[in-house]
Amino acid sequence: MVQTLPQENKFEYKAKKFVVWLFVVSSTIMFGGWTSYYIVFAASKHKGHGLVLPQVFNYSTAVLILSSIALFLASRALRNGDRNRQRLFLWLTLLLGLVFGVLQVEAWGILKATGAFFVNNNAAISMIYVLSLFHLFHIFAGICLIINSLVGSYRAISVERATYRQEIAAIFWHFIDILWIYLYVFLLLNS
Amino acid sequence: MSTISIQDTHHHGTHDDHGHGHHHETFLTKYVFSQDHKMIAKQFLITGIIMAVIAMGLSILFRLQLAWPNESFPILQTFLGKWAEGGRIRPDFYLALVTIHGTIMVFFVLTAGLSGTFSNLLIPLQVGARDMASPFLNMLSYWFFFTACVVMMSSFFIQTGPASAGWTVYPPLSAIAKAIPGSGLGMTLWLVSMVLFVASSLMGGINYVTTILNMRTKGMDLWKMPLTIWAFFLTAILGILSFPVLVAGVVLLIFDRSFGTSFYLSDIVMGTQILPNEGGSPILWQHLFWFLGHPEVYIVIMPAMGISSEIISVNSRKPIFGYHAMIYSLIGITVLSFIVWGHHMFVTGMNPLLGGVFMITTLIIAVPSAVKTFNWLATLWRGNIRFTPAMLFAIGMVSFFISGGLTGIWLGNAALDINLHDTYFVVAHFHLVMGSAAIFGMLAGVYHWFPKMFGRLMDKKLGYLHFWVTFTCAYLVFFPLHFLGLDGVPRRYYAFTEFEFMQKWVTVNVLVTWSAIIAALAQVAFLFNFFYSIFKGKVSPQNPWEANTLEWTAPIERLHGNWPGEIPTVYRWPYDYSKPGADEDFIPQTVPFSQTMSSNLPHDFEGNTIAEQVQREWDIANKPADKADLD
Repeated sequence: MVQTLPQENKFEYKAKKFVVWLFVVSSTIMFGGWTSYYIVFAASKHKGHGLVLPQVFNYSTAVLILSSIALFLASRALRNGDRNRQRLFLWLTLLLGLVFGVLQVEAWGILKATGAFFVNNNAAISMIYVLSLFHLFHIFAGICLIINSLVGSYRAISVERATYRQEIAAIFWHFIDILWIYLYVFLLLNS
Repeated sequence: MSTISIQDTHHHGTHDDHGHGHHHETFLTKYVFSQDHKMIAKQFLITGIIMAVIAMGLSILFRLQLAWPNESFPILQTFLGKWAEGGRIRPDFYLALVTIHGTIMVFFVLTAGLSGTFSNLLIPLQVGARDMASPFLNMLSYWFFFTACVVMMSSFFIQTGPASAGWTVYPPLSAIAKAIPGSGLGMTLWLVSMVLFVASSLMGGINYVTTILNMRTKGMDLWKMPLTIWAFFLTAILGILSFPVLVAGVVLLIFDRSFGTSFYLSDIVMGTQILPNEGGSPILWQHLFWFLGHPEVYIVIMPAMGISSEIISVNSRKPIFGYHAMIYSLIGITVLSFIVWGHHMFVTGMNPLLGGVFMITTLIIAVPSAVKTFNWLATLWRGNIRFTPAMLFAIGMVSFFISGGLTGIWLGNAALDINLHDTYFVVAHFHLVMGSAAIFGMLAGVYHWFPKMFGRLMDKKLGYLHFWVTFTCAYLVFFPLHFLGLDGVPRRYYAFTEFEFMQKWVTVNVLVTWSAIIAALAQVAFLFNFFYSIFKGKVSPQNPWEANTLEWTAPIERLHGNWPGEIPTVYRWPYDYSKPGADEDFIPQTVPFSQTMSSNLPHDFEGNTIAEQVQREWDIANKPADKADLD
């Protein structure tokens, strides 16, 4: 039994990683529900949000893509056994993630300033807030996973365990990156 | 419970973050915040039973009103206060009763109570795993469910009462707090409870799918899994793919209610006051709701189907008829369930062409459903049937599925539905096909796996009493309702005496209510049997039903990790009952073919030529020549 431990261990990490994938699926479906609402709404009312989206969304999108690249480099550093580099890039990801959050809030402020309030008789405009707000909740969860991996990089935990933590952070973070790009492009195309 | 099993050491070694407490289990870690799937299954079951009793009580209350609309029951006022002033249920409380009855039954009993109990109990035991992929998430799943129950029930203790907009909570009724008393705080609590419930269901479902795909024991390939596991697997997938859409819809409803957005609201006048909301569409709620709502009815029925398949095969002492067809039909139902939601919305002004599409997809579901039904009947056909209480309930499930399913063909028709929509015909239909059928599947599962949960047997005679009274009364309750519906009696109406054409049905309602009361009393037999047998039942043998599946090889005393030592290996499918040439009429999955040389068949070896060769040589040596040729 003792000999089979590392193998059962790996087994368990594989299964737990799968849990994250399934969460990604269900989360995609939730956003799919909202964008479907948007499509049906826009089709039946013959109108979208009708706004020029704030420039800040471009910057935040760029920041989020950069954070994904940083996280990718962190994963690569861990694969090469360079925990210091991994730590550095994780910090960078974390920082960029926070900047993204700030920029999103900034964008809401600009929307508000131009009169596109959340409480609106055009549900398509309210939907911009709903999508970005719930995406931001995901960013918060992603940041928690990154911190989890970061804490792991400071502790003497086994390579498998560190890899597992890094991998679930990576799966989730890249997912919310792609998710945001999808949402942003969706909103740009369906104005 | 053994505290020094191998699994515990294993856990301690690998989970430095939550490996605490396994060695010294306290009351809290063993019974309350347990991470053992068997304990969590029992928590789900007992919570589900309590919720079912509550929901049944609610139904008796509104049945009283329907049968005796002019009579006064002073005792009701004692318990319900202003909701039953003068001993008569008030109209708005009547609506609250049907709403909460529906919500509890559909979500809390038949989703969480059914899937939560049996997926948790059986998945690790039947696929051969020590526990779920994430026991922690599993525990969290139960406690989210429990919190959701508490929040839902708490709405009975507030001034304005529980949500009253029906279990589908259609806006604008549900979206405007002033619309009816129940749309106030009660509706908010309903929505909060549902969000918690969905979170619980997702955590459960994700765990089930992960466990089935990643943690099967050696030899347990997908095509050797019992049909229970297939059913739980596909049910969990349905949940993962559909519940998030409900959350999406609920979130928008919450924003409409509490923040003033107009996702679902437009052009509403309350008395003399024009509401500011504009531009939304309540139909969009129906789309989002039924995109979940329809898969939800399969989330309810598929576990019952899986459980019945297993029980019918075991107690007919025959292999399930059409094992592969059973699985493909489950897959077919799973896929189709996502493209039929529009049949709930035929009368919303839907484009008739679109209605036609939804009608066709809906009617196609009859095909896999019929495949399953005929396979159950063919399994029973000329079987060596053992009428255990579990078997009776499984057969009852098939009966209700047939009689309720047939009316689905009426309702799935876009043209006929214009007549039948929102009448008692719909009530009769779904109470048979997904209500009674799923409940019977669940009860069958309880009787069958009770020995696995508690190590004791339930009393058979009380089981028979429970079955016959419940079965008869369920038909007496729901069958007459079809005729009310055909006559155009709408559902959710408070007093039949207020309408000339409905008055003649009051006498039928008296019959229905008496049947409901007797059915409710029959459940006392079950409750007594259940709780008494946990402590005082006859001690169960290792394999009380002589079944093949893996859970019966696990020791009766429950230990964390399910099997002491190595997990057994699986060699064959789970339905080798009454195999010609075998010594006994069942061959457990753990018995290798090398031990059953006299009963092996060529297709057992799945193209393994060496094994086929060995078998041929054995046949020549041990069987008379002419017989070997026949094989």
